[in-house]
Amino acid sequence: MKFGLFYEISIPRPWTPEKERTVYNNCLEQVKLADELGFDHVWAVEHHFLEEYSHCSAPELFLTACAMITKNIQVGHGIVVCVPEFNHPIKIAERTATLDILSGGRLHVGTGRSATWTELGGFRANPDSTKKSWDEFVRCLPKMWMQETFSYQGEFWSMPERTILPKPYQKPHPPMWVAVTSPGTEIDAADRGLGSLGLSFAGFDEQEKKISEYRRRIKSCEPVGAFVNEQVATTNFLFCHEDEKTGVEMGKKLGNTFNYLATQLISTREVFSSPSYQSLGLLPALRRAATGPDANEQQTEGMAYGDPARIIRAVKKWESLGVDCINFILDANEVVPQDQVMASLKLFAKEVMPVFAQGAAAKGSPAKVAAE
Amino acid sequence: MPLYGTLDITQNTKALPTLANLDTEAWTLPKAEMLQLLIEVPRRTTDGLLPKAMHPALPSYVILAVTKYSESPVGPFNLAVLRLGSRAGAHPRGFLLGAVASTETAAKELRGRWGIPIEAGEVKFLRRHDRVMGTVSRGGKTILDCALIDPQPVAGTDVQYINWVTAANAPLDGQTQPMLIQVDPKYTFYKAERGKPQVNVFDAAAWNAGAIALADPIVGTCCTVDTDLPRIRFVMDPLKPVFQGTRRIRESRSDE
Repeated sequence: MKFGLFYEISIPRPWTPEKERTVYNNCLEQVKLADELGFDHVWAVEHHFLEEYSHCSAPELFLTACAMITKNIQVGHGIVVCVPEFNHPIKIAERTATLDILSGGRLHVGTGRSATWTELGGFRANPDSTKKSWDEFVRCLPKMWMQETFSYQGEFWSMPERTILPKPYQKPHPPMWVAVTSPGTEIDAADRGLGSLGLSFAGFDEQEKKISEYRRRIKSCEPVGAFVNEQVATTNFLFCHEDEKTGVEMGKKLGNTFNYLATQLISTREVFSSPSYQSLGLLPALRRAATGPDANEQQTEGMAYGDPARIIRAVKKWESLGVDCINFILDANEVVPQDQVMASLKLFAKEVMPVFAQGAAAKGSPAKVAAE
Repeated sequence: MPLYGTLDITQNTKALPTLANLDTEAWTLPKAEMLQLLIEVPRRTTDGLLPKAMHPALPSYVILAVTKYSESPVGPFNLAVLRLGSRAGAHPRGFLLGAVASTETAAKELRGRWGIPIEAGEVKFLRRHDRVMGTVSRGGKTILDCALIDPQPVAGTDVQYINWVTAANAPLDGQTQPMLIQVDPKYTFYKAERGKPQVNVFDAAAWNAGAIALADPIVGTCCTVDTDLPRIRFVMDPLKPVFQGTRRIRESRSDE
């Protein structure tokens, strides 16, 4: 089992310059500590216009800063929006290659298509075509990284022959993932040989079905890249404390705050009728969980908060379902004070990570395995 | 935490519809044809229109709907409503700003049963092959002229209608008091089309919509649906956050 951090970079109102800077600095301090403690990944989302919920609109800059202050932790786009109105594919190839060089080959590239009208409408993107544009982008990216020259004529973008520079540090290229929230996207991931970057907090049963289907389908995939990145990551909240009750209470506060903010987002399906957005993604589960910031009800099973023993039980359950990596959200709207976030990370690294260390060390990086 | 509305409905209770009780009987409205247009509006123009208990949708948007009900307990009627996109706690809702019904009886019943802020007027629903049109006039003045342009078939499962919230006076705990009422119709889809919204006339003041100015069209749909206007299940304190101030009046429907 590998462990990572997952950043939305949630910032409460009022948004003073100092507050935004403080939150970003807090995140960087957490990443630096996580690197020293042996965490495997740090992921950052790409979101736009999502007030309070996520102020992480330029993840490549945040991840570059992470790479510059760390030695080993791998940095991941979780995800780059593969919709032409958001990101030109040439720029994605160039930016990611540069980040891979600067990080010394520590980059993972998650891909996705955005789920909110707030973002799609903000860029005047057509929700009907985001799955198709994502498909084009993920098939082009490996070629843009690997081929000396590249030209392309597609439905959503085209370019004459040019040399896209620089090339990534990792050979053949960084591992690729896709965000999996909507039902069925795990099949999209498997069929293309991409890692499944789970961004939902679904319960054990639902995740088990998804993982089982992913493992089955990826055996016969036609990878879009030079290698198959068969990995399943899931997202969780982390608050680890010596006292179980204290840990659970703070964890619930964190989860409730995050869920409540998430349910304020305008999902595409809520306002734009489209066959491309049949599902509400992670929102129904969050709405069930998000009865309010003061709620004290049972939350989705398998949450990684409480004392180390409780968290170990939850992680073991995820491990038994076939999850390779758990990425943790550490804070939302600054409801967990920074000193407590740091203490939680330290306690988790001391008491929980050693229990799962052996398997992670044996697995190695898919890109390195492919290169070897 | 998320922004809240700023409207205090307790300051002008005389302007609110008044319900005799919260025991409204359900209505079944079969095979209604419902034209619905979603349009973004500037956030500054929605200030003051949303009750304090609710969160604004970001970006701000309104839902214009013109519906032809061929059958109802009060006979055929057409209905036009304007709702403001919002949140009741974690749930998407359309706060009802104004409505017009084509018959006096329908207006009276909808006002008295579900607290819809409604007047009687002329409401037309017209279908052509290249568009579906809705027009509303009151006192000889057109207050809405809108259309769904170039409707194309989509699946009913592609369309999501969000529930409504009305503001009204109603008896609770032995006294009539202002409250928010959740109206959560159940829809069964037979046909759905999607197209571009077009609005030629929109008189915001006539819809109790303050200075709302229509800005960016999102999408339009026209659906044939069975609509069950339900019994009232939840009411909310208009001044407390919904997650603190919601009361269940009766159990959920048996089909939920």
